[in-house]
Amino acid sequence: MGNPADRYKSGVMPYAKMGYWDADYVPKDTDVIAVFRISPQDGVDAIEAAAAVAGESSTATWTVVWTDRLTACDLYRAKAYRVDPVPGSPGQYFSYIAYDLALFEEGSIANLTASIIGNVFGFKPLKALRLEDMRMPVAYLKTFQGPPTGIVVERERLDKFGRPLLGATTKPKLGLSSKNYGRVVYEALKGGLDFVKDDENINSQPFMHWRDRFLYCMEAVNKASAATGEVKGHYLNVTAATMEDMYERADFAKQLGSCIVMIDLVIGYTAIQSMAKWARRNDMILHLHRAGHGTYTRQKTHGVSFRVIAKWMRMAGVDHIHAGTVVGKLEGDPNVIKGIYSVCRDDITKQNFERGVFFDQDWAGLRKVMPVASGGIHAGQMHQLITYLGEDVVLQFGGGTIGHPMGIQAGATANRVALEVMIKARNEGRDIWNEGPQILAEAAKWCSPLNAALETWKDVSFNYTSTDTADFVPTATPA
Amino acid sequence: MNELEDLNELVDLEALLAESQVDEVLDELETELIGLKPVKARVREIASLLLIERARKSLGLDGGSPSLHMSFTGNPGTGKTTVAMRMAQVLHRLGYARKGHLVAVTRDDLVGQYIGHTAPKTKDILKKAMGGVLFIDEAYYLYRPENERDYGQEAIEILLQVMETQRDDLVVVVAGYADRMETFFRSNPGLSSRIAHHLEFPDYSAEELELIAQRMLAQMQYRLSATGIAALREYIPLRMRRPHFANARSIRNALDRARLRQANRLFGQKSARLTRDQLMTIEGEDLRASRVFS
Amino acid sequence: MRITQGTFSFLPELTDKEIRAQVDYALSQGWAISVEYTDDPHPRNFYWEMWGNPMFDLKDGAGAMMEILACRKAHPKIYIRVNAFDSTRGFETTRLSFIVNRPAEEPGFALKRTETGGRNIQYTIESYAAQSPEGRRYS
Repeated sequence: MGNPADRYKSGVMPYAKMGYWDADYVPKDTDVIAVFRISPQDGVDAIEAAAAVAGESSTATWTVVWTDRLTACDLYRAKAYRVDPVPGSPGQYFSYIAYDLALFEEGSIANLTASIIGNVFGFKPLKALRLEDMRMPVAYLKTFQGPPTGIVVERERLDKFGRPLLGATTKPKLGLSSKNYGRVVYEALKGGLDFVKDDENINSQPFMHWRDRFLYCMEAVNKASAATGEVKGHYLNVTAATMEDMYERADFAKQLGSCIVMIDLVIGYTAIQSMAKWARRNDMILHLHRAGHGTYTRQKTHGVSFRVIAKWMRMAGVDHIHAGTVVGKLEGDPNVIKGIYSVCRDDITKQNFERGVFFDQDWAGLRKVMPVASGGIHAGQMHQLITYLGEDVVLQFGGGTIGHPMGIQAGATANRVALEVMIKARNEGRDIWNEGPQILAEAAKWCSPLNAALETWKDVSFNYTSTDTADFVPTATPA
Repeated sequence: MNELEDLNELVDLEALLAESQVDEVLDELETELIGLKPVKARVREIASLLLIERARKSLGLDGGSPSLHMSFTGNPGTGKTTVAMRMAQVLHRLGYARKGHLVAVTRDDLVGQYIGHTAPKTKDILKKAMGGVLFIDEAYYLYRPENERDYGQEAIEILLQVMETQRDDLVVVVAGYADRMETFFRSNPGLSSRIAHHLEFPDYSAEELELIAQRMLAQMQYRLSATGIAALREYIPLRMRRPHFANARSIRNALDRARLRQANRLFGQKSARLTRDQLMTIEGEDLRASRVFS
Repeated sequence: MRITQGTFSFLPELTDKEIRAQVDYALSQGWAISVEYTDDPHPRNFYWEMWGNPMFDLKDGAGAMMEILACRKAHPKIYIRVNAFDSTRGFETTRLSFIVNRPAEEPGFALKRTETGGRNIQYTIESYAAQSPEGRRYS
């Protein structure tokens, strides 16, 4: 750092010179590491921009302050230590920044994010900034509760193994009375789904009071369970204006014997962590709908990548998270989605640039999050869904169940038969990627609901190129 | 086959052989094991039989699945387990053992101590051996006529049933001394009649045992000095005349003891430095300290 | 009704050949096969009777089939399922579980409602078959 007198002379000096850039820095095992995509304003040097991000996301302000000298300020300064040009994207750089563990409060996503994405995203010398990935040290992870249930225990509790779970969102999203709403739940569960779900914006509106909905939905869940001999569930959305309201709704769901409740990402990190603790105390599966994430995850140059949100949510402690479908109507490049799924489900996530995974991540035994694939998917894509997404996933066919021409039960049956027949074929060693349509067609001969589903949606696909793609492959894979 | 049976239809035996890759195993057997000429010849015969069976099958000629249960008789240390392992691979490559693994057991693994103990024990082993070869060493211990209530009989009965009904799933090899096996078969005609192939393992000659010793040493990265070779040549015939001689196994034990003595000798020299050569060489004295010479 | 627990309950009953294919798949993954049976198919009856211990270290499906067929012979009229257990770190749980035998008639379940205050209902699911003593159901 040279002469302290020079460093702390009043005035403005480059961040890089203030100690926020250290090309020789070797990150410690206990450091939090973040990699940002930075797009500096014209004329701003990439290294100086990286140092500025390090500074603004840790100790710095725009000018030199003498009060730094009352602290072990070297420790508290985040250190940019590596800047790489983004392949194929001139003017963009990946900058790696290490943060000492002492900068963070234990077990608090709010505190972590206040630093890492607090002020820095509005910083003027940058045109745009995106948080691409983070490496969490094991020491830090151990301060988080993590998912209240986890994939393993969820499956044991539901007594469902060897296949993805099946769900659907009740439609229409808005306007149904509780009684009519419960009808959809019953039909879908009886027909073969494992779960039905409230949508993200089903809370307690004028057309349907939350308590009324909970009562009807639980009637539907229990009736369907008696009709099939299976454990069934409905994600009761407890999202509300205040924590007090959410606790009240969650407690009522528990009293009614529901095995799962649901929250939306928009309730905020602190509320999510509170609900995670509540769910752990009460043996409840906690479903998270990622409502709102698209506002900051979708664009490639600015915001936060969803893989980072998924990491935060595994730490904060949710059991389900919507994580993309690859083939459906919503954003999702296959490689990027695989990366997000691995963040949810791995014991140790391995660095994989093609999937946008920048670091090895040891999850320190944190339970696993069940990814949920939802939005514009149908039975005819079953072979693709299983190939892309694997087994530990909830496949949600909303329209693909409720929109079935023979009715909701038939829609659910079509999905369940398609799923079971595909898993069976995969286990028998058949090449489902290529033989999938044929396998479905064979089953459709004895299952008329499946036949009708395949006919109805045979031409549906959402063939748009994704915006959030990995940088280390030449082109995005069309779904 | 119908009346239009084409007696000139062809099968490419070479191709079948190449496809099975069974030659590799047979070659390995040839080079890996010294001597044992009659055994190797029998293994080849069995391989040919199975290969021809496959050729026949490819033309729709079905003689039913051949019985493959075997008995390996011979003195200890004559290579029965090793050949069984190779046999499992041969069977696997020719499509007669799906997994081709070997499960080697003795009476204690099959027979329990109490009523109701034996059946689950035997079945457990049988299940693990499915798809491969079950090798029962000193199989005659299963049969103890002097004890009416011996549970071994129960194990034999379960074995017989599986040997008969699940020929495609399991090949059983019973092994042991020739004379005792003979008695065993005589008292258990049901078992005897289900054994299709009898392989007799001859004792090794002194020359063969010397070759075996040389090969074992090479594998352990040792070698014999000139005095060592001379000592070994004297040792082998002496050992062969002593009681409890167990062919290759006795040689292995003798070499292990020679290693021990070599180490002791080198340590006793107290010289600070040892050459690679010293560390590798077994001297005559390392062998001659054996009781066999006394 | 038809109880739809297990991985393949929406498909036609698996033939022995199809069961064998699933068993072979499980073994190829390094999982241990176990066989369980029950005459109480309540959705939360997690402990079916064990037909012997889980079969560890099997190389081939033939051995597991022996037990499946033996269990079916001993209990032809009740539920039998085949489980595959994975002991690797991060799982240590069942990875596949499917029904291989079921009664000809499945009377299903009664849904008992106990009404309490505030339109609240406590639900109880009761198997009609389990109203007879154990061992005398589905005969």
